[in-house]
Amino acid sequence: MRPNFFEHIHPPTIPTAQARWRYTLGAGGTAVFLVLVLVVTGALEMFYYIPTTGEAALSVQTISYLVPFGGLVRNLHFWSAQLLLIVSAVHLVRVVFTGAYIPPRRFNYLLGLGLFVLAILLDFTGYVLRWDTGIQWALVVGTNLVKTIPWIGELLYRTLVGGTTPGSATLVRFYTWHVFGLMLLAAILTTWHVFRVRRDGGIAVPPPGERGDRERISRSGLVRTEILAMLFSGSALLLLSAVSPAPIAPAITEITTLSGQAIAPWFFLWVQQMLKWGDPFTWGILVPLIILVVIALVPYIFPRPAKQDLGSWFPKSNRLAQIVLAGIALAITVLTIMELIPVS
Amino acid sequence: MSNRNLFFAATILLISISLTWWLQARQAQPVGMTPTVTGQVEYCLTCHADLEEISAAHPLQTYGCVICHGGERLALDADLAHSSLRGGNNPSDLSVVEQSCGDGDCHNGAASAERDHIQRVMTSLQATYAGAIANVRYTFSAQPDLTPLFGTVEVSDNSLPSQTGILHLDAFDPSAENNPFLKTFGTNCLTCHLNSQPAEDSQGHRFSGCSACHSPAENNQSGFIHTLTTAIPYSQCSACHNRGNYDLRTMTFVERTDQPVTRLESYYQPIGQFTQCEYTLDCVDCHTRSEAMGDGDIHANQKDFEYVQCQTCHGTPSELPLTKTLTGLDDLAIRLVLLNPVVDLKLGDTILVTEQGEPLWNTRILADGTYEMIGKATRQQFSFKPVMGSACTQSGQDQSSAYCHECHVVER
Repeated sequence: MRPNFFEHIHPPTIPTAQARWRYTLGAGGTAVFLVLVLVVTGALEMFYYIPTTGEAALSVQTISYLVPFGGLVRNLHFWSAQLLLIVSAVHLVRVVFTGAYIPPRRFNYLLGLGLFVLAILLDFTGYVLRWDTGIQWALVVGTNLVKTIPWIGELLYRTLVGGTTPGSATLVRFYTWHVFGLMLLAAILTTWHVFRVRRDGGIAVPPPGERGDRERISRSGLVRTEILAMLFSGSALLLLSAVSPAPIAPAITEITTLSGQAIAPWFFLWVQQMLKWGDPFTWGILVPLIILVVIALVPYIFPRPAKQDLGSWFPKSNRLAQIVLAGIALAITVLTIMELIPVS
Repeated sequence: MSNRNLFFAATILLISISLTWWLQARQAQPVGMTPTVTGQVEYCLTCHADLEEISAAHPLQTYGCVICHGGERLALDADLAHSSLRGGNNPSDLSVVEQSCGDGDCHNGAASAERDHIQRVMTSLQATYAGAIANVRYTFSAQPDLTPLFGTVEVSDNSLPSQTGILHLDAFDPSAENNPFLKTFGTNCLTCHLNSQPAEDSQGHRFSGCSACHSPAENNQSGFIHTLTTAIPYSQCSACHNRGNYDLRTMTFVERTDQPVTRLESYYQPIGQFTQCEYTLDCVDCHTRSEAMGDGDIHANQKDFEYVQCQTCHGTPSELPLTKTLTGLDDLAIRLVLLNPVVDLKLGDTILVTEQGEPLWNTRILADGTYEMIGKATRQQFSFKPVMGSACTQSGQDQSSAYCHECHVVER
């Protein structure tokens, strides 16, 4: 019998040791599930969302309050997007802390990192689509930050914003990026990323001779685990969406003013904190970019973990990479907390 | 991986779905309404269905809620829906009145069409407090004479003002004053004008802006009031006037200490001298629109725009009061009586008018040559006669209250 499509994604068997929750944390699979939820709920929202400055916030209110189950769909979309960032970050940390990025998985590591950046951009563009006073500050400050880039800043700003100040062109551009440009890229990269997992030999495991535990689980066992992960994360999503509605604020009347709350979306709070330290280009763009480049170079510049160390947490051979990533994660967490709880 | 795990996870999902369904089912069913003026659906009635229409002149189906109150018309979450309300719970606050009451030429229209309510109120003494500020600053040597320089807010008159009109007032800033008394004056004594919120310990309740007068608090009870009326009882005027006196030594306001029960006791302060009509009628029965809301010019002194006197209704020994016969449906008197139909005015009826031609639309000349007035707030009927042909021995020239009070005074 010819294998069906799903059998391309799922290997016939994988070692039991590396199929355990405590090894994978289920993060990669959950991320794929969240992406599916995002696509479905996002498509439903598109039936009601109107990307014009006068109607955007009102159509978000219509979705939230007047469309049957519209509020639930929007909450699911919101919470999936927030959880996707967390789950993706956990997935990245897991891959580095288990040394799973070594060749032949170096390229897929970069694909994954690209997807993480796409998720952040999708989250920010989606956040802006609310077009209410809750996003006003972050939109104005965020786009102004682009202007500070030497030589190309002004051009980039105009390309992004569609004019000299945020306005109706900005909303249409952010909308197009969100539902088409970034989505298309994300769809291609997600498929490629999942495909490469299988192409690179499935989940990272030690060479056959080095495995203590020779037990393996079947394809159906793997699918059961994935279903279990979906059921649990689906329940968590539903409960979060039912009790904690997605943020919403009054419609914007004058976009260029800095009214509304001076607060970035939570995943940029650490950047907002650094912006207080001085030069906006250095702290708002250069430093985050350097951090991204350092993470991207993890498989290339740090000592490689030994093959026999694969398939387990914290291999000694790539300690330096673990320390660097832990340092970055800790710094971002501390900066976020500092911004959340301002020291008066 | 056992089936038990899957069963457990599926059960949790089922519970989550049920809980979500239950929470969804508990949400209020949206109640929409599309007012004819805006043509835009609003969902305020989902929660506010019990609220009475604010006035017959503002029918709900015509205006809805949002045109006056602002707010997020589609939101069903109370916090969001109310987050952009104009002026909080009072859209007539003078800081937002242009958008709330003026938008669409409702109450900020042309003076010739008698639709310039907002312009007149903004420049009126009730809003600027210019005279009091000038007097107090002069008393404490902050200015060399009584020239009015400041109002509670900056205000200019772009029209050609009357003889006593002022072109411009700057905003009074107590913190810029050197004299500590003037700073205290700013803190304690600027709570009576239409721009201000009333003092917290104030006995009478009132809002700011238009609602200070047009949303009277019944029995002076504070709280939620959803009324706009031109039937303004004297008690609403007393929420500012007659509620006490300023003490210049301590720069504080001293509330009345008497506990008036009857209208006779409460209408004026114990020191007040008045005639019978001055307490049986309500303030608005005599004081006209331009007196109460301003005549469009900036003044600093009451006497520059208060002009209704005893003779306005009663005439003098040699002259009858001025009258006017109603000929057109767009006559101001007809328009005003529609707002508060206490009297059945018809075309051809003759009513009294003031020296400036303002209609006293709740009066009428009866067939026998006597007059009747219907109380705007009380709907009580009063009959009265002209001075001419009566036993009154007044000079006809002196119309000061003290002069008339010599004979016509009520003893308490």
